[in-house]
Amino acid sequence: MIAALGLVLGVFLGLLLQPEVPIWLQPYLPIAVVAALDAVFGALRAFLDGIFDDKVFVVSFVSNVLIAALIVYLGDQLGVGGQLSTGVIVVLGIRIFSNVAAIRRHLFHA
Amino acid sequence: MGLLNYLTATSLDQDYAAASEHRRVRGESRRERPGTSALVILAVFGILIATAAVQTSRTADESATSHEELVKQVQARKAQLSARRERVDSLRSQTQTLETQYLAATAQGRSVQSRLTSLGIGTGADATRGPGVRVTVDDGPPISGGQNEIFDGDLQKLVNGLWLAGAEGIALNGERLTALTAIRQGGAVITVNFRPISPPYTLTAIGDPDTLAARLVDTPGGQWFLDLQALYGVEFDIANSEEPLTLPAARRSGLRYAHTPETLR
Repeated sequence: MIAALGLVLGVFLGLLLQPEVPIWLQPYLPIAVVAALDAVFGALRAFLDGIFDDKVFVVSFVSNVLIAALIVYLGDQLGVGGQLSTGVIVVLGIRIFSNVAAIRRHLFHA
Repeated sequence: MGLLNYLTATSLDQDYAAASEHRRVRGESRRERPGTSALVILAVFGILIATAAVQTSRTADESATSHEELVKQVQARKAQLSARRERVDSLRSQTQTLETQYLAATAQGRSVQSRLTSLGIGTGADATRGPGVRVTVDDGPPISGGQNEIFDGDLQKLVNGLWLAGAEGIALNGERLTALTAIRQGGAVITVNFRPISPPYTLTAIGDPDTLAARLVDTPGGQWFLDLQALYGVEFDIANSEEPLTLPAARRSGLRYAHTPETLR
């Protein structure tokens, strides 16, 4: 309940304020969103498993976003930004998929 | 363990299990409901998603706008170009008219005019119309161990034969032949005036329709092709044209060093 409230509040705030993203931050926004998505689905699965923990969620969310952005930044500096982005997306994508599969098993028992 | 297996096996952060185990060992109360910090983080997540969406749609708008702007610019420039081309054409015809008028005004001018006309036909500077013959040649059927193709040298011989037979103007596949024309082999294709042409090769020649065809057959070029026809089955066809032939003007190549001699001016 609280979680859905927070999500709705966030989307509402984002649409209302429409914060201007600085140009140097723009390449990292999509990758940060994917990393955040991974953390959120992980948290949802943990919640359904009955082992959810606030602190772990906060830490995993922040570290996921920061590390993903950092890896892409590092890749940009080394000239392999595109490839590293692809790598990050692939890894996070697989994690999201398997987490969503676990969530699905929990919800539908299928 | 394969990378993919590892990824799927550890897709859930092990910290969740560790933290829960830790709590169980210490006998703390269960805190498995999301609290305030989860709310804050999810709000941040919402803002992130909304911002990314807004940003993406804004960027898409911008790129679409700039694309449209470029298309508009291209169209405007194209219109400008065609307008200028039309102006060039109209100015050219104006110059021609003025030249003709000026020359027609005096007796000396008239003689220059007639000289210009005959030179224009002879040199290929002007388009020409008149009776003549159409000569078609084409590669022969493939033979073993060779391609049986017409080469540049064959066409050169045939063109020289036509000049010898009294042609006043010749075009090869629509390219007017002049004193500066080169018929050359460029790899597998033949080029005329540095433009590639492909078989069948059609030569249109303006000249006396009664004698041109007959005299061509007597020239070395005509004989050469009769031999080719007999030996290799190369297609070689001469036909008098029913209607008058029109030869295009040659593409102008600027003369940089050649001048009319002073005595002829």
